[in-house]
Amino acid sequence: MMTKIMHLLFLSCLRATELIEKQFHFKLTVLERLQLMIHKSMCKACSDYEKQSAVLEHGIQKQLKNQAIQVDVSKLKQDIIRKLKTE
Amino acid sequence: MPTNLLTTWVENYTADLYKWALYKVSNRELAMDLVQDTFLSATEKMDSFKGDSSPKTWLFSILNHKIIDHYRKKVRQTVSVEDQSFSSFFEHDGGWQEQRKPNDWHIDEEENLLDDSEFQQVLKKCLDALPEKWSISVKLKYLMEKDSEEICQELGITPSNFWQIVHRAKLQLRDCVEKNWYN
Repeated sequence: MMTKIMHLLFLSCLRATELIEKQFHFKLTVLERLQLMIHKSMCKACSDYEKQSAVLEHGIQKQLKNQAIQVDVSKLKQDIIRKLKTE
Repeated sequence: MPTNLLTTWVENYTADLYKWALYKVSNRELAMDLVQDTFLSATEKMDSFKGDSSPKTWLFSILNHKIIDHYRKKVRQTVSVEDQSFSSFFEHDGGWQEQRKPNDWHIDEEENLLDDSEFQQVLKKCLDALPEKWSISVKLKYLMEKDSEEICQELGITPSNFWQIVHRAKLQLRDCVEKNWYN
């Protein structure tokens, strides 16, 4: 019963992590921000989740930037030209 | 059909189009297909090319449409994230499953962690291990270089669908990184 009331007021961990992901993309409402803040102050796991999720965001961004692009397009060119001629 | 002109374009622009497509979709085969489709569409639409823009700009706009179409299809397949797919991470009451609960990563300097090539390898491995539709959802923001509102509009999904897919993907990714890096 107590847990239910707590979750209603200050979010379950499922809902809290959902809001953490939401805030990377969209603005939270004032109520959502407040509930999330209180939830994190009481829940170490979700507060860790937020830090780690931010690290993952930056890691993904870095990975996409560094993606080495070495290409040999000569075969691709030939394929395309052949395709164009048969169309 | 002015094949010669197109052949020249293939010679001149394939490399740039391919690099762009590869950067956007992170998949060689798919990038090649998209570039090939771009030239095929260009052949069909040749009449609509008025020469107002350079051929390169025109070809890139065709390619970009194809890339968006690709994402739209991919993301559409995922719009329903079912409740039960969260149940491996959370109990019925919405609390963490004990074995999936985040541990402290002791992150002192985020930069050091991100510069660590072994950490990057683990992250890559875990991203590759995600189902493609989920890994796309976490990359979209950076690949499309647009804000999330615009991404949702272009892909025709609601914002709440979008962050729920990302949520599901991130839970899996975080869990994988923790198990492979910290244990």
